[in-house]
Amino acid sequence: MEPPIYYKRSEYIETDTGNKVSRRATIAGPQNIILGGKTIIANGAIIRGDLRRTGPGHAVVISLGRYCLIGVDCVMRPPYKTYRGNFNYYPMKIGDHVHIGSNTVVEAAQIGNYVEIGKNCVIGKFTIIKDCAKIADGTIIPPNTVVPALSLFAGSPGRFVEDLPESTQEMVEAQTKQYYTRFQPEADAR
Amino acid sequence: MPPSILYHCSCLSSSPHPPPPNLPSSSYSFHPLHTLFFCEECDAVRCNRCVSIEVSSYYCPNCLFEVPSASVRAEKNRCARNCFMCPNCRNTLSVVPSDPPDTGDSRLSMPISSLNEPPFFLYCNHCRWDSAEVGITFEKPTGLAAQLQKYEDSAPDSLEFERLKEHFEPFLRASSLSSTIGGNTTAHASSAAHSHHAHSNSITAAASAALARDIPGVSKYQPLTRTTSGRGGSGKDRSRNKDEMPEYRSRVEISKTSAYGGGEADVELMDHIETIGSIATLEQRWVNSWISPLQTKELKPLRIPLHSKRSKRCPSCTHILIKPEQKAQSVRYKIKLVAANYLPAITVALPHAQKAKAELAKKQLGKSTAAAVEDASISASNMHAGKTYAFHLALSNPLYDPIQVRLSAPRMNVSTAPVKDGSPEKARRPPFAISLPSSGFSVAAFAEAWEYEDDEDMFGVDDGDEFGMKGGRETDGRGKVRTVGVLERRANVTLVGGEVVIGKEARGDVKFNMLVSYTYRSDDPTPSESNDGDGPSSTSKSSSAANKQPEVKTFAFYTVVDLGHIIPRDEPRAETDF
Repeated sequence: MEPPIYYKRSEYIETDTGNKVSRRATIAGPQNIILGGKTIIANGAIIRGDLRRTGPGHAVVISLGRYCLIGVDCVMRPPYKTYRGNFNYYPMKIGDHVHIGSNTVVEAAQIGNYVEIGKNCVIGKFTIIKDCAKIADGTIIPPNTVVPALSLFAGSPGRFVEDLPESTQEMVEAQTKQYYTRFQPEADAR
Repeated sequence: MPPSILYHCSCLSSSPHPPPPNLPSSSYSFHPLHTLFFCEECDAVRCNRCVSIEVSSYYCPNCLFEVPSASVRAEKNRCARNCFMCPNCRNTLSVVPSDPPDTGDSRLSMPISSLNEPPFFLYCNHCRWDSAEVGITFEKPTGLAAQLQKYEDSAPDSLEFERLKEHFEPFLRASSLSSTIGGNTTAHASSAAHSHHAHSNSITAAASAALARDIPGVSKYQPLTRTTSGRGGSGKDRSRNKDEMPEYRSRVEISKTSAYGGGEADVELMDHIETIGSIATLEQRWVNSWISPLQTKELKPLRIPLHSKRSKRCPSCTHILIKPEQKAQSVRYKIKLVAANYLPAITVALPHAQKAKAELAKKQLGKSTAAAVEDASISASNMHAGKTYAFHLALSNPLYDPIQVRLSAPRMNVSTAPVKDGSPEKARRPPFAISLPSSGFSVAAFAEAWEYEDDEDMFGVDDGDEFGMKGGRETDGRGKVRTVGVLERRANVTLVGGEVVIGKEARGDVKFNMLVSYTYRSDDPTPSESNDGDGPSSTSKSSSAANKQPEVKTFAFYTVVDLGHIIPRDEPRAETDF
């Protein structure tokens, strides 16, 4: 029953599958980015689909599931490392119902389903976040961290705080779906 | 703070009625709906405080490997693979090879970690601690725990622990045996939980017997004062166990050794301390279950403690409420009886605050300053003393049958908490009065299809009249038909309006208990007695009706509604007009 969040119709592009992408977001290498549908990319977000694996052929760099939200001024950047002398970027996989708060920098390798990430976080390189985990606002997750399912991480460095309730999945699902319905264009009358 | 609603679990008190919400201690009895469970057998709400918990599996939170419970104890509850925790900042350590030896030529193009050169060491990505600092290096990057095993096993504290374990082992085995026999013979130990208690009792008794030894300079521990109060037989147990206990001699006499700090050496160190960081903080030392070095530079990497998945049982009937799937990272459950699937979910809203928020959001459209919107909404959602406000309760029905709901706010004698300056006139009058729809109303059944319905026009249906009445009808708001009662029905959600009249001298929070009772048609042929008596939150009044018609069941539960803070009269009212 939260009030709707209005946006200017001209400011967002809506795709056939219901993705809403801000015109003021920086999407680099869009051919390497997959959006699952009903995903919102807010103003000022930067998504680096251009940082792809070297080598021929098509490469998916960033894939997002359904009902995701990339908050205002977020940076999504695929992780990189030098392995056996070769510098390379690695793909970033994000599941369904993932909300990422504003001003957060994400370099994770994998984010599961029903994950909530707060605002002003740094998610280090090659982080793996499992299903239904939650990252509190302002958390710094160092590189290579594993966040187990149904756990709340907070602090700097991000540490396990508590187990989340069993019904987290339903809660996050309802919340992300509701957010998508609340996020609607400003009334045409104006 | 947005208005909120919490649900009552009666496990803390014997009476089914919740404590008055203005008492600070009452927050322990109220929980958000999504953290509660529902026992079908008892027909009652259960919370995390009252359920009994069993570990169903162990796993390492870093490598996510499941650890069989047999090896959990052998590995001292920590991951025995490659997972280590930084002793400095608790971050996970990663294994890195050492830098290639500096050959002298400016061959800068070769980056680090391209060559897998031993020795390897553990490195913290966050605080840059590395294990070479404390002289721990590895020949190969796998099986680190096994490589560290020899350090760990030869540590004097772990040897001491092994010795202690050895010492107690035969005794524990004997006492657990005797207690299970004893548990069977005693008639009063009826349930399984009881015999389990007795079992652990003898272990604790053994431990307390060991603790009760006379230590020179330490005042004598008195276990009797605690143990006899609750459990009858343990006092006798303890004395018998104490007799059987052979004396334990430690490997080294702690007073004769100086290797573990203490005494002169520490004083010396403290005298020459230069930075506070060189002394390990309490937190850094606390996680280390063994001897904790005083100095930061002596801290050793820690194996990561295991996590567990737990199943939960109803405390009274021991039926399983939560049973997770065996797989460590699965978020599915074999059994999951959560209250959200049984009780209607209620959300509270203050229309005047919502409107203000929406207005602001419209004004700031495109500027995307979420923080400013939040700030403004906080100030707008305040309620001023001496005014009348409407509030909305949205009830959504999780059941596949329609329910008939009745709301009531029990009369409160609010005389304590909000009044600080203790004027007697204020104490007599409750600071606010609540009016709720007096007649029952229905909430339609839940259907999966509604989840996908486009509900864009759910907002702003009934904004007009509430906004008008904000203008200060101080006496009585009950004349307004539109604000109290059912406002809207949509899918499985019914929106009802209520009204709060805040007294002129009121201060504190608008927080009140609300009894929600609902009737539904039950399909299962369980006898209707199940919903009175043993269900603590179901009232006897409502269940008497259910007894006549077995197919209709009534359930009642208490909630506490927090509408927010009252702004006292004398404060300047800057935000009155928005």
